Amino acid sequence: MKRQIPLIIVICMGFLFAAHTFIPHKVSADFYTWWQSWSKAISPFAVFLGVMSLFMVHSTKISRKLPNWQFSVITLAALVFTSFSGFMWGTMEGTPFMWLFKNVQMPMGATMFSLLAFHIASAAYKAFRARSPEATVLLVAAIIVMLGQVPLGTQISEWIPETSKWILNVPNLAAKRAIALGVGLGMTATSLKILLGIERTYLGGGE
Amino acid sequence: MAKLNVFDRMQKLDRRWIYLVVALAIILPLIIPFNSKTYVTEPTENVYKKIDSYAGRTDRAILMCFSHDASTMAELFPMEVAILRHCFERKVRVLTICFMPAAKPLMDYAINTAKEDYDVQSGVDYLSFGYKPYSLFLITLLGMGDDIAEAVETDDQGRKIENLEIMKEITNYNEMNLVIDFAASAAVYSWIVYARARFGVNVAAGITAVMAADNYPYLQSGQLIGMLSGLKGAAEYEKLVDIFAMNKDEYGNPDPREFSKEIIKESWIKLSDIENRKYKTARIGMNAQTVAHVMIIVFIIIGNIGYFVSKNKENHIG
Repeated sequence: MKRQIPLIIVICMGFLFAAHTFIPHKVSADFYTWWQSWSKAISPFAVFLGVMSLFMVHSTKISRKLPNWQFSVITLAALVFTSFSGFMWGTMEGTPFMWLFKNVQMPMGATMFSLLAFHIASAAYKAFRARSPEATVLLVAAIIVMLGQVPLGTQISEWIPETSKWILNVPNLAAKRAIALGVGLGMTATSLKILLGIERTYLGGGE
Repeated sequence: MAKLNVFDRMQKLDRRWIYLVVALAIILPLIIPFNSKTYVTEPTENVYKKIDSYAGRTDRAILMCFSHDASTMAELFPMEVAILRHCFERKVRVLTICFMPAAKPLMDYAINTAKEDYDVQSGVDYLSFGYKPYSLFLITLLGMGDDIAEAVETDDQGRKIENLEIMKEITNYNEMNLVIDFAASAAVYSWIVYARARFGVNVAAGITAVMAADNYPYLQSGQLIGMLSGLKGAAEYEKLVDIFAMNKDEYGNPDPREFSKEIIKESWIKLSDIENRKYKTARIGMNAQTVAHVMIIVFIIIGNIGYFVSKNKENHIG
């Protein structure tokens, strides 16, 4: 029953929503509006579950003194302090929440993303080698696209941004379309498997 | 032990030296900006032209959807500020929304940054719908196709949006006919798949450079009317706003002009001529990006020279 009831809900709702897309009838539209209210009511529970899960995972780590438990203390302290400042003084400009966002969240986020530049430079130097004809094509294409992305490329020659554009619009686009078609077909197949109850891994239980 | 020659040493170069060079290549151009030309691409031009076509109209609005957090702010924030500046300058009505909690402060920050120099009012010239939980994304997106006031209900200050001045002539996607999604992910696809396909709304993307390649199929098919690609796209938009929307007549009075490719070609704006740094952030950043790209290319070339010389030596010995 523990698995059958959720499975029946998923199958029934899945077919109902698939039918709704193709039936522009008032009954179908009313059902969709009714469901919207339910969906809005469900979302706060998801937030509650997320916060509870975060607390449980990190408090367990702290109580058992697992490796790097100190970071869990910081995570929980940040969660409590940020939430408290948001609930207490609001989230508008000039509040402690906004100060935290501008002075902690923003620089930390930017720092994490900017590390990419260092890793790319290091990887380009250490690993980007013309070991084979395929690797050479990739290497030449990368150099042209990189130059085409900056004003210097156009200043060197009009040919560079034009070639860069061609690389992005022709070979890149062909590969992306092929991937998109594959993903689309895969999604359709998986959706059908879920609707028909063949795919059940989302129910958990490790079966 | 055999003595290492210069090429062997190049192969075994400590990566900290690479990090140091990259850091200098990025930091120095940011501290000491230099004037470099900005070449405008067609996807950016299309976004500019579409927004500008709504200038002064009360029955048209654009929706800016903020779908990113602070990590990608360096690339996306300048384009958001540039678009908001364009809208405030040309009296284009702007609506904003986000479905990520971390995007809400960024959305407020962008609006506050852009409105500092304009006499604009929330609920009249612009409106922030605020943060809506991601679980409501599809419901809101589809609901706005019928009635925005019903789908969104309240703005970020808790006001009923149907009572606000800005919404008087804006009902659904027929009026809010351009959606621009700013993301470092595939968030824009949902707008293409649902809002574009079902309601025919114009969709544009402001996207990080690494994600730009993924969007080319949609640009070519016309499902995306335009795209601002990374810091380059932001720099291009800044330039377009400067030369068209911010144009001044001989007496220094505002004199916005129509879009023209010839004017873009002729225009050369020195960064030092723009007083406010916030309106040239992307163009200053492009200096750093130019130097960083050149450095990476130099690293690739040096690395390959070292590789081939060492390989040649090994073959010779073998």
